[in-house]
Amino acid sequence: MARYKMEPLRCWDKAKELRRSVYERVAKARENGKIIVAGGTESMLALPAGYDMEFLGGEPYAASCAFAGVQDPGVCREFFEAAENARYPRDLCAYMRIGVGSLLADKYLAGGSYPRPTFNLQTHICDTHGKWYQIMSDIENVPYNAIDYVPYAWETENESEPSKKLKRDYLVGQMLDVIEWMEKVTGQKYDDERFINAVNWECESTSLWAQCCMLNRTIPAVMDEKTMFSFYVIAVLMRQRKESVDFYTELLDELKDRQRRGIAACPDEQFRFVHDSQPPWFALDVFRYLERFGAVSVAAHYSIGLSGGWTYDPELDTWLPALPPKGAGVELRTRQEACEWYAEWLLAYHTMLRSLRWSGRGKNKRILDIVKKWNADGMIIHLNRGCEGTAVGQMELHRFMNDQGIPCMTYEGNVADSREFDRERTIAKIETFMETLGRKKLY
Amino acid sequence: MVTAGMDVGARTVKIVILRDQRIVGKGVATAGLEADRAAEKAWEEALKEAGISKADISKVFATGSRRGEVGGFDDEVSEVVADGRAINKVNPEIRTVLDVGAEEGRAIKINSEGRVLEFAVNDKCAAGAGAFIEAMARAMQVSTEEFGALSLQSVKTIPINAQCVIFAESEVVSLVHEETDRADICKAIDDAISDRLTSMARRVQVQPGVALVGGAARGVGLQRSLTTGLQLDELFVPDDPEFVGAYGAAVIAAET
Amino acid sequence: MIADFKSIYENRHNYAREWKERNNDHKIFGYMCTYMPEEILYAARVLPLRILGAHEPQNVSEPHILGMFCPFCRDVLAQGVLGRYDYLDAIGITHSCQHIHQAYESWVLHKKIKNFFIPTPNNHQTSRALPYLRGQLEIFKEQIEEWTGSEIGDEDLLRGIDIVDKTRMLMGAVYETRKSDIPSISGLDSMYMVVASQMADKGEFNWILEEVLGSELPGRAAREDPGIRLMIIGSEDDDAGFVEMVEGFGASIVVDDHCTGSRYFWNVTEKEGDPLTRIAERYIKRPPCPIKDFPARNRVPHLIGLARDFDVAGVIVIQQKFCDPHELDKVAVTKALEAAGYPTLYLEFDVTVPLGPFRIRVEAFLEMLRSEALF
Repeated sequence: MARYKMEPLRCWDKAKELRRSVYERVAKARENGKIIVAGGTESMLALPAGYDMEFLGGEPYAASCAFAGVQDPGVCREFFEAAENARYPRDLCAYMRIGVGSLLADKYLAGGSYPRPTFNLQTHICDTHGKWYQIMSDIENVPYNAIDYVPYAWETENESEPSKKLKRDYLVGQMLDVIEWMEKVTGQKYDDERFINAVNWECESTSLWAQCCMLNRTIPAVMDEKTMFSFYVIAVLMRQRKESVDFYTELLDELKDRQRRGIAACPDEQFRFVHDSQPPWFALDVFRYLERFGAVSVAAHYSIGLSGGWTYDPELDTWLPALPPKGAGVELRTRQEACEWYAEWLLAYHTMLRSLRWSGRGKNKRILDIVKKWNADGMIIHLNRGCEGTAVGQMELHRFMNDQGIPCMTYEGNVADSREFDRERTIAKIETFMETLGRKKLY
Repeated sequence: MVTAGMDVGARTVKIVILRDQRIVGKGVATAGLEADRAAEKAWEEALKEAGISKADISKVFATGSRRGEVGGFDDEVSEVVADGRAINKVNPEIRTVLDVGAEEGRAIKINSEGRVLEFAVNDKCAAGAGAFIEAMARAMQVSTEEFGALSLQSVKTIPINAQCVIFAESEVVSLVHEETDRADICKAIDDAISDRLTSMARRVQVQPGVALVGGAARGVGLQRSLTTGLQLDELFVPDDPEFVGAYGAAVIAAET
Repeated sequence: MIADFKSIYENRHNYAREWKERNNDHKIFGYMCTYMPEEILYAARVLPLRILGAHEPQNVSEPHILGMFCPFCRDVLAQGVLGRYDYLDAIGITHSCQHIHQAYESWVLHKKIKNFFIPTPNNHQTSRALPYLRGQLEIFKEQIEEWTGSEIGDEDLLRGIDIVDKTRMLMGAVYETRKSDIPSISGLDSMYMVVASQMADKGEFNWILEEVLGSELPGRAAREDPGIRLMIIGSEDDDAGFVEMVEGFGASIVVDDHCTGSRYFWNVTEKEGDPLTRIAERYIKRPPCPIKDFPARNRVPHLIGLARDFDVAGVIVIQQKFCDPHELDKVAVTKALEAAGYPTLYLEFDVTVPLGPFRIRVEAFLEMLRSEALF
């Protein structure tokens, strides 16, 4: 008999519809009089939002291809092969290879030809990002610009205020330059009001998502991570839009209600764990398999951090949802003010982007905080060959967790390339891990 | 009480029968494509040695990557847990177990009761597994037994990059073409495998005593390379190291 | 003399220890990427030494860095874990690639050593990079002052610039001699020269360079018939065995683009502005590592220029296995070189290299180049 009550999430269908709509909107953008901007979604989505645009984000597009590729190899395996035939090495970022391959094959996931953007705009959050869209632009022959992103250090490193100011000014300066560049390449005036709204909505969306994630500290968790993937991706895709704010407002209410009534994501929750890195998108059933042991992933730095605005509280020595401008009583009135707020938001409050670059002491501490605050009993690390950014420092993290007495296992895989994933071996490892913890299958 | 452990590995099926915690019968057969047929053969051998029939056995626990392909067991345990329990029974001083199976190498950290604290497996890489050793023996055109004896004859250190077995084989071919002494090449290969195992072992923080199990543990050259590589005073290799998994499953069956 | 280059390279740790004994009130600073502003360290009378790997298989890095990251970064970390660099007083890194950054992070986690990180920019094509970098160099200078207990004034910085620029100019002059029909120094010795310069006190090293330029190279032929002229480009490379093998096949490597080669020293410090601005600008303008080369591709014209200036017949593109920055560039770079008339051979390296299979590839490439030369 199940331990906890369960109920389907009301927001589930809305999330699905919002996700689907993005790719359809990109496909119809031009006929609707919009420009198409392409780049990584882990970037400054609010920046090109000064135009009436649809954004084709490389990472979620590739993740969707990987997921869809389980049923249709033509939207995944074929893309990898197209990239490899063009001599791109196989150990490169899996998302990038899908994007490049999809473009080279001239095949779009939502049907038809691969959409050619008006321009590509990227934020260089990892070694690959700035180069990825350089390659795309070479092939597409469209204008390209990239913003360098040098994150603040972890609080363990005691970075000086002058260094932070330099990073902020550097980012703000580049943002202002890119706005002028966008005006040049589009021949259209940039709309500061649209930009300011987008910054506000991006900050509100990500703050709301962080608040949603906080509710998962409860036992039982109100969301399991597989569900969280379907929700966090709304912010990934469109956090700069009002729809995203509306969605998370509704979701937060629903989750609070579930928390009040003791509704669980997994009715058999007995063992809570924190996952690390993206999941293998083509093998999400692994999370369902873990539930057979009563094991539920209640958080991951990836899923709570990628779209979450988290601020570090030095007194409590932990991270809490950051306040968006309105929440902080700040009104953004000018382009300059919006750029400054936005830069600080990304540099200070985006711990996931920070962890793509800086691992070591700071990343270990950040993730230990998640394990403890989300009342986790263990950790499962996906050693992700398809994304080096999420994989930096993972071996140290594994050691660190075990040394803290937190049971921790690793499995090798790839975020999007199923050729790099051995399902049987992974299942065997999970079974072994559960066995070492004295956990048997419940069903 | 009579219990049995069945280890259905990638290459072989091993059976161990215990009566009152003593080994009374063992059997082994090559698994090939039909593991269940191999299991039957291994059972035949083990039961004959024990002088009993299957009906005399109270419980059978299975382990091994291919155990799902055969029937006839009451419960299953992972190789990692089976190894830990087995070694603890045989030598309670052991804290680190290195298991070199045909397709997988494992490093296991155990406590004084044989309980597994941590484990590491060489994912997607043959360079720390028995398959690598067999491939290298083929490249040297010797049997695995001859390989070990040759390796012991050498005292040279020739580095081979063993991250990838394909690259390693290329390097071996290069050494052969350079007319490098065969004994030196065999030792270089043992050192390379030892390096891979050591790398993996370090992930669980090697603590003395260290045991080496699995079929490849019989390799005397590998034993020497590991002892040197891990800077051990002693490396414990149990009798019949390839039966450790099956023995562990039988012990757990008796204790459950 | 030329033989000193190899000697310093092969005995790097002894060299460093002896230097320390001779200069026992000075510190040694190990760095992991050539964007490190050595000028500031020389200004502080600190010896900067580049940390490189040992080209030996090792079994100590796996608990720290996953095997999917490049062999070089794991080899570098292994040297730290094995205690080979225990004579260092500090380690430091700039904002480099994610691979080598892990080596730095793990070193800091596990060895109790003073550490410095300069968050340098990646996009060198934005005008914002220079003031940003200058600001970070100012902070770094203050950190070094605090560490050494000595102030670094402008005159110290100018002294540091002079020392490092002299090395650059002298090595540049050596490379110039390789443009001739019969180069006076081989690719192997040139490689030893550059990596040795990264492992030595440049003040002393400059004397060796002057001696080599003045006395040894004039009239010297590295070999009577240089054979096919090659360029070699890619990631960090100090694989002497491979370079020696290539040159043993009747080819001469006459120029390169590696951070253990020309990328390290190609441009000198700018002449305008205060010392820190001049230093910053030099690093902004130097031939870029691929991860610094976006949004536009500035590397490509530079590489084609090198190929043309040194009159090469073909290009060997080599990189560490799993090196993302260079893998991301390789398609565009090889395409551009081939379109400009320079055939390419692409090879991936590990810490040890299977010379047999590589020999086959290199021989075939050279035969192809020879037959093209015939027609």
